[in-house]
Amino acid sequence: MLIDTDAMLGRHPARDVGAGTVAEALAGMDRFGISEALVGHTLSWLHDPRTGNQALLELVAGQPRLHPCWVMLPDTCGETGTPAEFVTAALESGVHAVRAYPADHGYDLAGVDAAPMLDAVAGAGLPLLLDAAQITWPQVEAVSAARPHLAIVVGGLGYRVLRQAAGVLARTENVHLGLANLSSHCGLEWLVERFGEQRLIFGTGAPTRDPAEAVTRLLWSELDDGAVAAIGAGNLRSLLRKKARAA
Amino acid sequence: MNPLTSALWERRPQHSLRIVDAHAHAGPYSLFFIPEAGPAAMVRVMDRCGVSHAVLSSHLAIQLDAAAGNAATAEVVGHAPGRFTGYLTVNPWQDPVGEIEKWGADPRFGGVKLHPDLHVYPLTGPRYAPVWEFAQRTGCPVLTHTYDGSPYNDLPMVEEMAVRYPGAVILAGHAGATPLGFDAAIGVAQRRPGVVLEVCGSYNTGADLARMVREVGPRQVVFGSDFPFIDLRMSLGRVLFSDLSDDARAAVLGGTMTDLLQWRDNARRARSSQVTAP
Repeated sequence: MLIDTDAMLGRHPARDVGAGTVAEALAGMDRFGISEALVGHTLSWLHDPRTGNQALLELVAGQPRLHPCWVMLPDTCGETGTPAEFVTAALESGVHAVRAYPADHGYDLAGVDAAPMLDAVAGAGLPLLLDAAQITWPQVEAVSAARPHLAIVVGGLGYRVLRQAAGVLARTENVHLGLANLSSHCGLEWLVERFGEQRLIFGTGAPTRDPAEAVTRLLWSELDDGAVAAIGAGNLRSLLRKKARAA
Repeated sequence: MNPLTSALWERRPQHSLRIVDAHAHAGPYSLFFIPEAGPAAMVRVMDRCGVSHAVLSSHLAIQLDAAAGNAATAEVVGHAPGRFTGYLTVNPWQDPVGEIEKWGADPRFGGVKLHPDLHVYPLTGPRYAPVWEFAQRTGCPVLTHTYDGSPYNDLPMVEEMAVRYPGAVILAGHAGATPLGFDAAIGVAQRRPGVVLEVCGSYNTGADLARMVREVGPRQVVFGSDFPFIDLRMSLGRVLFSDLSDDARAAVLGGTMTDLLQWRDNARRARSSQVTAP
């Protein structure tokens, strides 16, 4: 079973990736044997988080295979409510995880402005999903160290950042890597051998990334079936069980 | 589901067709860490997936030293001669004529590799002339790095060389590398039959690949992975799942590249037929 932790609904302004509808997402998942997905909305990322988060809930209502992932902001301008209001609404709405875009949304993930919202997200047990292009590794480490119970998943690594990522993985326990564009040659096996399979979480980056990449990378890996199952779905389920306990 | 994706889902190597990786490297690269960058792990990954052959240039050759790097490429090919063929890397600043003379007839090498972006020298520049003359004369394919908007290896420069050397086979590495580059690469390949699009990179998808095949035909699109620069399975997966006919997928994954690597045999046959012709 595969659960995609890194998928998106909505249109994209600069890539030919279709209309981003629920039907397209489900068809893509079927094509690649993906059972469920945590989905965000490009409206939350590329226009307005508050509007996008609400639109996402409407889109995935009645879709048992799609689980909403909201986008957080610092509460400095009150755009998504107080931290307590944000996470309460998220949990009541069935949100499975929270994503942050500090580079595109213009704030420091490790700074004091984002801290109250991150504290609330951690307290709610919601995993924090990040894209490597949006953060620096020292920021990830600082956020991790300040909130040891916050599960962090960094996706979109590419093939050039193992030196940095490995250091952070070695010094933390709550940072995980997503498989979307995890493209270092033999990097998946190297990471599992060094840090354990529990640090890797399946994700595709769809639709801007081709899910064929992550699916092929995982299934034709040199990992045993147990590790593939854990990375494909089990590890995320473990993170989400922590959310349920926290809630 | 095709026989390749069936094998993938069963987590066994595919054996339904011959896969040839037209764009590979070997060895470490200073900008980032590559676990297991040597030929043993490369063969292991190829065996895991069912990839028969890879055509490679050492990272040393493209990054720093063509002479030492070409020797390293020859050594890697020697490690598994049935599995690897070398690209002779020509650095325009490091004795192009000497490298071609030294390695051009060596059967361990089956193509020439150019990386104008890394060598900060335009694909159209005169220092590359010995390469094009060699390629035109022999049929030896030339793989060049391409990148949309680059001052050194943008697609119009590929087209210019295809016009100047119409007998040369030019593999456009990464097929322009970006969505805008894919559009330009398709246009060049449509106009210039000697240009073949090689599809590895970080920004393409199976949909891009299928569009290339629809618009230029399966004999002008070849699979490459860039491994171990990038993991082989990223690019291979895109081809596996792309919307191609079985014949087109077989051509892209290995049929076309296998044919292109036969240039020495083709030349021998041509000479033989000239000798025996009445």
